[in-house]
Amino acid sequence: MASLEQLKLTFFDECSEALQQIEAGLTDIREGAGGEDTINAVFRSVHSVKGGAGIFGFDGLVSFAHVFETVLDAMRSGKLAATPDVVDVLLPANDVLTDLVGMSRSGEAIPPDLGSESRAALEHLLHGSGAEGDAGDAAAAPADFEGLDFMPVRIDDFDNGDDGAEASYRIVFRPKPELLQKANEPLYIVRELRKLGELDLVAECDRLPPLAELEHDRPYIGWTGTLKTSAKREQIDEVFEFVVDDCELTIEKLGTTSDAPTDPSPVKEIAETAAPPLQPAMPAAGHPTEAEARNGAANAGAARAAAAAPPRATAAKAAPVGATTTRVELEKIDRVVNMVGELVIAQAMLGQVVHTLPEDVSGRLTQVLDEVVHHTRELKDSVMSMRAQAVNAVFQRMPRLVRELATKTAKKVRLEMAGENTEVDRSIIERLGDPLTHIIRNSIDHGIEAPADRAAIGKPEEGTIRLSAEHRGGRIVIEIKDDGAGINSERVLKKAKDRGLVNADATLSDDEINNLIFLPGFSTAEKVSDISGRGVGMDVVRRNIQDVGGRISLKSDRGRGMTIQLALPLTLAVMDGMVIRVGVETYVMPMSAIVECLRPPASDIHNLIGTPGMLKLRGNLVPLVQLCELLDISSTATASDERVVIITDAGEGARFGILVDELCGHQQVVVKSIEESYGSVPGIAGATILGNGRVAFILDVEKLSDIASSRNGQAELAVTRIASRG
Amino acid sequence: MPSAAVLKVLVVDDQNSVRQMTRMTLEQIGIRHIHEAENGKAAMDTASLQPLDLIISDFNMPEMDGLALLRAVRGHPAARKVPFILLTGRGDRELVVKAAQAGANNYLIKPFNADILRQKIEQVMGKLS
Repeated sequence: MASLEQLKLTFFDECSEALQQIEAGLTDIREGAGGEDTINAVFRSVHSVKGGAGIFGFDGLVSFAHVFETVLDAMRSGKLAATPDVVDVLLPANDVLTDLVGMSRSGEAIPPDLGSESRAALEHLLHGSGAEGDAGDAAAAPADFEGLDFMPVRIDDFDNGDDGAEASYRIVFRPKPELLQKANEPLYIVRELRKLGELDLVAECDRLPPLAELEHDRPYIGWTGTLKTSAKREQIDEVFEFVVDDCELTIEKLGTTSDAPTDPSPVKEIAETAAPPLQPAMPAAGHPTEAEARNGAANAGAARAAAAAPPRATAAKAAPVGATTTRVELEKIDRVVNMVGELVIAQAMLGQVVHTLPEDVSGRLTQVLDEVVHHTRELKDSVMSMRAQAVNAVFQRMPRLVRELATKTAKKVRLEMAGENTEVDRSIIERLGDPLTHIIRNSIDHGIEAPADRAAIGKPEEGTIRLSAEHRGGRIVIEIKDDGAGINSERVLKKAKDRGLVNADATLSDDEINNLIFLPGFSTAEKVSDISGRGVGMDVVRRNIQDVGGRISLKSDRGRGMTIQLALPLTLAVMDGMVIRVGVETYVMPMSAIVECLRPPASDIHNLIGTPGMLKLRGNLVPLVQLCELLDISSTATASDERVVIITDAGEGARFGILVDELCGHQQVVVKSIEESYGSVPGIAGATILGNGRVAFILDVEKLSDIASSRNGQAELAVTRIASRG
Repeated sequence: MPSAAVLKVLVVDDQNSVRQMTRMTLEQIGIRHIHEAENGKAAMDTASLQPLDLIISDFNMPEMDGLALLRAVRGHPAARKVPFILLTGRGDRELVVKAAQAGANNYLIKPFNADILRQKIEQVMGKLS
């Protein structure tokens, strides 16, 4: 059943979507790509936020959304031109709206001055353009329309098409102090009365004392007038039911008025004396009704097209034909993901059992099992794709960032985007925003040169940043490429030496130097700038990416620009792993980290003093790491040529070999976090349950190389480590 | 005196949360037969398929907005007489006037609670039992 809280969650989900659409739509408009449809869509999104906020009683949100909406309405009706200047007011307004939604969601108190600047700018647009709007009065607007007498059309009246017999009543209503003391509000009564028919009241203000003598708890005003209504006398009496003893009241029938000319419209404006501000009606009561067998808010009637992140081009328009969507709680999908995980484990167990059976029995079973394996994999992929979201969800925030930063730094920057529709797991999308923002900031702040400088070296004045995403080998690769100055390697090296991050006498290749910027405590900016120098360095970016099992690498071409590449797993829940054995222990190594596996002859392993060895591989030396030593377990392999070397790729070009005892096979494993229970264990990325029911740790290859190098501090590994930070 | 338990109400709003909230509030006053539609078009489909006792509709919706829906309802031979309550936000006064002229029976301002909803419905349908 749908509780109020669930409904609010649904509302906030809708808000997130609406906010995204507003942002995308405004960006399109800003770039001149948005037509009337786009403005309409943006208007509707703001209106939806306002409408929902209204129904859930988020008044601050309603009030701001109202001003925002009024401006958009003026644009929609052509009273206000959609110039870049106007959009530049609307974009920050959307930020304020986002903040307000966020605060309403978390239940934070909304500071009264929040967004007042943006609000003023919006109001200025309205007044400046001459577009009429009552934007300002929204906050003070009562929960009912003052002076608007909407006479409800009774269904039985409507049925026979005539207004029935109307009668006029003379009404005199003078509240006594007791009425106020009993917390009754005369205006409510007047309003109730008005709902019965055509009410024409005149306020008697003659008893009003001079201001100095005015007492706030005394009713000085009375009303006299006529009510023309088809309602029965009892209904009129009912209005005064609770106050009849606390006021002077006269209700006299004047005679029927059925022959009187009737107003064709049931709406009539009537004058009313100063209306005190009224409390808005309470939001619908918080008592969820006990439900019949009906689904929760998430899927009841949720046929609404709800593409979580519609492609950019269609973002502000209706969902593409044929792509009907349904809204499902993330939690439900996660439950399915978990079940698929369990299924993968059970299937692995089944595989083990089948292997122990005699051949004649197992033959057929193996065939069936293969089928099951195949289907499980497909099931996994389908479920994962449900959680997937287009990277556009993050990408679409970037055009604005680029525009704002370019303005701030007085540079000309163009942003190109490609592959926005590439899908990746939601959990990864969520953690992509900050690193991307930071990298782009860096690019504009340090990479792209000032227009004059660019012109001087024969580059186009406008710099280009290209942001692209694509699927590559079971990962998603996101590339941020600029045509700026690239990395000044001398300066980077000097800084690194100054800070003691590398030995003063170290000789490093350009690539190694470039990767130094990922070291903690490194900041290339000469002075901390307003834009990228906020104490968050590339090391944090790198850590963010590594936390989700991704890799970051960098290529810099001095004077021509630089490319940062993020390679991320598509999902965090299930992965392909290689099961390995070291001594009596079994581990899982992510397939994505493995370049190749080989069993080299002992003659190819060269022992250098103080190192576990170097492997000569196709003419290159690759440093080796003994897993048994690292993890402090004893190896059962007697001769070194019984061992297997797994060549892993911990980063751009930085390879090293891990010595293990045996490869036990490739299988899909379900990643179970151990951090929650045991905290972060260096070198261990998580745990999984194998087919035999045993728990195996999943190795964190990158961390292992760090550990290895910190243990023996050998030069080669240190270099590897630095390079592997890429 | 119409009985709330037998009334068939159609709630039209493009926002699921608003529809659910309205549904919940309708249930609080004892209304059990509640249909939902996410825009005017879907609402017309529902309205032409089955007899309804009341339509509560939002105004601003994609596809077909509330005003267009109201006009379509009033022009539809079977649904012509179905009472129509307009769901609106504060400040949409102009719309209320327009809706009244187009034949809306009443209006309901967000946020509303069960009492207000009942009152508005009763003004149109007569007292509910």
